[in-house]
Amino acid sequence: MRTVDSPAERRLFADVARDHLDRLYGFCVRLTNDPSDADDLVQETLLRGMRAYDDLRDASRAKGWLFAIATNASRDLFRARGRQVATVPFDPIDADGDEFSLFETIAIEDPFPYSDELHLDFLRLFRDDDVRAVFGSITPVFRLPLILTVVHGFSCKEAAAILDIPLGTLLSRLHRGRKQLERGLWDYAVMNGLVTTTDEDER
Amino acid sequence: MIDCREAVSRMWAYLAHELPVKPVAEFEAHLETCQRCCGELEFSRHLREAVAGGEGATPIPPELRSRIEILLAGADDANRGSA
Repeated sequence: MRTVDSPAERRLFADVARDHLDRLYGFCVRLTNDPSDADDLVQETLLRGMRAYDDLRDASRAKGWLFAIATNASRDLFRARGRQVATVPFDPIDADGDEFSLFETIAIEDPFPYSDELHLDFLRLFRDDDVRAVFGSITPVFRLPLILTVVHGFSCKEAAAILDIPLGTLLSRLHRGRKQLERGLWDYAVMNGLVTTTDEDER
Repeated sequence: MIDCREAVSRMWAYLAHELPVKPVAEFEAHLETCQRCCGELEFSRHLREAVAGGEGATPIPPELRSRIEILLAGADDANRGSA
């Protein structure tokens, strides 16, 4: 790896970095779920990017390139912090959760019996902070593909390249992340009393 | 003709414009006959928007931005020093 070794190149890197800073920071915030870790991660990403700028052959790919560096840097950061590194859990998590359908659950539980917009009313219960809390509770390895595709608009192919995993693996993790999100939203709504379930009615 | 289960599995890819032509045609043909899946598609669209919130950009706190600017500008200075 050759480092950036001319002022012109360094200025180019600084320009590229500034173009993507708010998005890169948003990615780091969602990735770490911790403001202080996000601060460290964005700075570490920029330092690594600066050292590896020569690897970026196509400036139009800068965003994905920076996100890939941030993803790798986050693994080292989590290790150093003794936090869970984004690996796939051994046990086949929530086997039934994988089949969970939020849309069906809302229809069956009917939390707003007089509403014409049952499903949209359910989403309206959630403030931005609530959504963030649920999103942050998704297993990191399944949250990452969601962050890249749904939040940042990368294609599945681009997201797979950023994470350095096969497309099939990306699609499978994306699906599991989506299912955890759906179940998480429902559980959050029940736990925080946003909806009344039939179970509670029977108590 | 695909069933609801298959249609649901294609929904997010459809919303992200990532389905190939044939699966899109099959999916849309299913929607024409299935009110339930039309409802879930609309729900999925809103759910994705709720998660996407602001398309991922988060304003950097001023204090951090200053440190980043020093980092980026400092790189120039360091380089000039060694040039």
